Amino acid sequence: MTEGNTIRILDGSTFVVSEDTGDIEATPSEPTGMFSLDTRFLSRWVLTVNGERLNALSYDDLQYYEARFFLVPGMATHYIDAKLSIIRERMVGGSFREQVTILNHDEKPVDLQVRMDAGSDFADLFQVKDEIVNKKGELYAEAEADRLRLGYRRGNFRRETVISCSRTAAYDRNGFSFSVHLEPNEQWSTDIDVQTFALGPGGRDLRMGVRAHGNERLALQQDLQEWIAAAPKVNSECEHLARTYQRSLVDLAALRFSPLSLGGSTLPAAGLPWFMTMFGRDSILTCLQVLPFAPGLSKTTLRILASLQGTRFDDFRDEDPGRILHEMRYGETAAFEEQPHSPYYGSVDATPLFVVLLDEYERWSGDESLVRELEQECRAALKWIDDYADLVGNGYVWYERRNTDTGLENQCWKDSWDSISYRDGTLLPFPRATCEVQGYAYDAKMRAARMAREFWGDPAYADRLEREAAQLKERFNRDWWVDDGQFYALALDPDGRRADVLSSNIGHLLWSGIVDHERAERIAEHLVGPRLFSGWGVRTLAEGEVRYNPIGYHNGTIWPFDNSFIAWGLRRYGFAEEAAVIANGILDAARYFDGRLPEAFGGYQRELTKFPVEYPTACSPQAWSTGAPMLLLRTMLGIEPHEGHLSVEPCLPIGMGRIEVLDIPGRWGKVDAFARGRLDLHDLAD
Amino acid sequence: MPDATTRFFEDLDRRGYEPLLVKSTGTIRFDLHEGPQTTHWLVAIDRGRISVSQDDREADTVVNTSPVLFEDLAAGREHGIAAILRGDMTVSGDARLVVQVERLFPGPPTSQGPQRLFQREAC
Repeated sequence: MTEGNTIRILDGSTFVVSEDTGDIEATPSEPTGMFSLDTRFLSRWVLTVNGERLNALSYDDLQYYEARFFLVPGMATHYIDAKLSIIRERMVGGSFREQVTILNHDEKPVDLQVRMDAGSDFADLFQVKDEIVNKKGELYAEAEADRLRLGYRRGNFRRETVISCSRTAAYDRNGFSFSVHLEPNEQWSTDIDVQTFALGPGGRDLRMGVRAHGNERLALQQDLQEWIAAAPKVNSECEHLARTYQRSLVDLAALRFSPLSLGGSTLPAAGLPWFMTMFGRDSILTCLQVLPFAPGLSKTTLRILASLQGTRFDDFRDEDPGRILHEMRYGETAAFEEQPHSPYYGSVDATPLFVVLLDEYERWSGDESLVRELEQECRAALKWIDDYADLVGNGYVWYERRNTDTGLENQCWKDSWDSISYRDGTLLPFPRATCEVQGYAYDAKMRAARMAREFWGDPAYADRLEREAAQLKERFNRDWWVDDGQFYALALDPDGRRADVLSSNIGHLLWSGIVDHERAERIAEHLVGPRLFSGWGVRTLAEGEVRYNPIGYHNGTIWPFDNSFIAWGLRRYGFAEEAAVIANGILDAARYFDGRLPEAFGGYQRELTKFPVEYPTACSPQAWSTGAPMLLLRTMLGIEPHEGHLSVEPCLPIGMGRIEVLDIPGRWGKVDAFARGRLDLHDLAD
Repeated sequence: MPDATTRFFEDLDRRGYEPLLVKSTGTIRFDLHEGPQTTHWLVAIDRGRISVSQDDREADTVVNTSPVLFEDLAAGREHGIAAILRGDMTVSGDARLVVQVERLFPGPPTSQGPQRLFQREAC
């Protein structure tokens, strides 16, 4: 995986980010290194031959978990003496392994000093992200006869990196060296094994017995093959679409994450490099996006989030009974409660979305037993919405952090500090209620009502939920409608004043079904209109708003994930053509990223830049961007579970040609869907 | 007055059933070490049904910590998952059980929970 000039390989929460030579020289602002459990285990990893740095001729990222680098001594700026070549092959899978091979192409024998500098700062990922590495504990390095041990100790908290080689090496505190004699055309190689340890007293590892995939390349390879074989096949005349799907499928495999102490089941982590951990919101939304293609992720995600559902009031962690977690971390700052992520619960939308996912999953899979298994958790989630999230007491879902030190200010998906403003640009006071969350709450109640009636044997509860949902819908359509703009406000302040800006959030309202039918057309027009739609996708904030900025994180950029839910929403209200316009724009954009959609890209008009401008520090691959093409495909094909079978109602742009999706799993067994592009987008624009 | 640790386990035993553990089955033993002395608390869980004893019997999960730290956990002054990440509490065997039982500890005594606006104004 390539990003800028760094090479990334990963497996679960272990990943290595290096330069294109394979070297790692981390600086506070350079997030390279080998990371595991939210801790950097290697911050220096530099290979030299006879004291000389190596120059990259090329590299291959073979699979997400392995890469290969071809190198020669000397720097690129002057003549390269290609009498020697060096190949580094590396993989992650539990531990990190690297094989170094040196080939002598000369007609003379050579004597070489091969050295790897190795070191670690054991920085917590939060410290790397915030560029502050200020360790309170003690770093140590011990060179033993057959290994180098790098470590960090703070009280009982201990993390160690242990490096050993298949050949005899001379280890010192800053690395290890080999003396190599090579005859003409001879080659030499060694395997280097880097193990990470998260140790408690008595040397017991935190991860004992919970390594998910095992450590071997073969196991990883087989796992990936099985993953791909189990997913539907997408054949398309439109080559880039098939490529985007394939890329998404593999990236989704790479992003699977197995939380500690939960028995090895996997859920989608949020994204590389900062978010290789479980997130309530990101994991749930990704599961919703990929349900027709990888339904198994939903089951494990629901179970894991249920098993960590809040049970008490904890102001530091913003935990309440019934609340679904926001983020879990395993590093030093979480351990010592310098950060609240053990886990942190400060998310306003994960709880209603948990209920939404369970219902949607059952509609596809027919897995009634999971709906019964998680009844208690659903009821607790719905109770949280009513009892603990209504901070103003007027029937809406609000948020305001209680941890004012390290908690999150904005607990909706647009979580940057300046994302929620009035039309004049002023930010709203707290508590805040954003519109899309009211939609999620409405949808959660409607869906829970179905589950209560069909599976929980509680029609009275179902009636109550439907009544409450209807009241919420009525209230919402009265209080949030911005008359002079003909759209729903982004948010409300505690006095009931509207944040009267035009934002992408209105698209989520369609998805949730909270929009009055007579208003849906207005909303659809806005979504594909010139203020929101750039030609590539829907901007987070409309052009013309005071805070609009085409590269403002939540104030003008385009998020593929956001667009995928908007398209789904348009489809729900019968705007199939508008949905296809958005799907087409985002899938077009994916071509410029080699099929891998970034977290966000610039909101510039399509005609202006001709290509989508990637947001500078965006995470990639990111789970919900990876899931976006799958949801867009679902939307364009109009595939929907309907009375026990899968209905297909395609609405496809002409340029997409013929698409077939084979073996869509579900309660119907496996079925195929076929579609042909018949929709002329040019006609639509006129 | 008994300490928070004893109260925590006795209360659990008295209740006999805990809905939060309805998906859990297994035995978990807490070994609280202080010098040469170790106090054992054994919790047997069968789909939510609970019985507590002080037997030093084999268990699916064994948790080791100090009586001082456990007292703080039982009183809500410390957090179980953070203590495990820190290495102040160690777990062997099936880690899922400890994650589930940890949820039974109370929240911090100073935590107020969410306050509605009018409640805040009234304070």
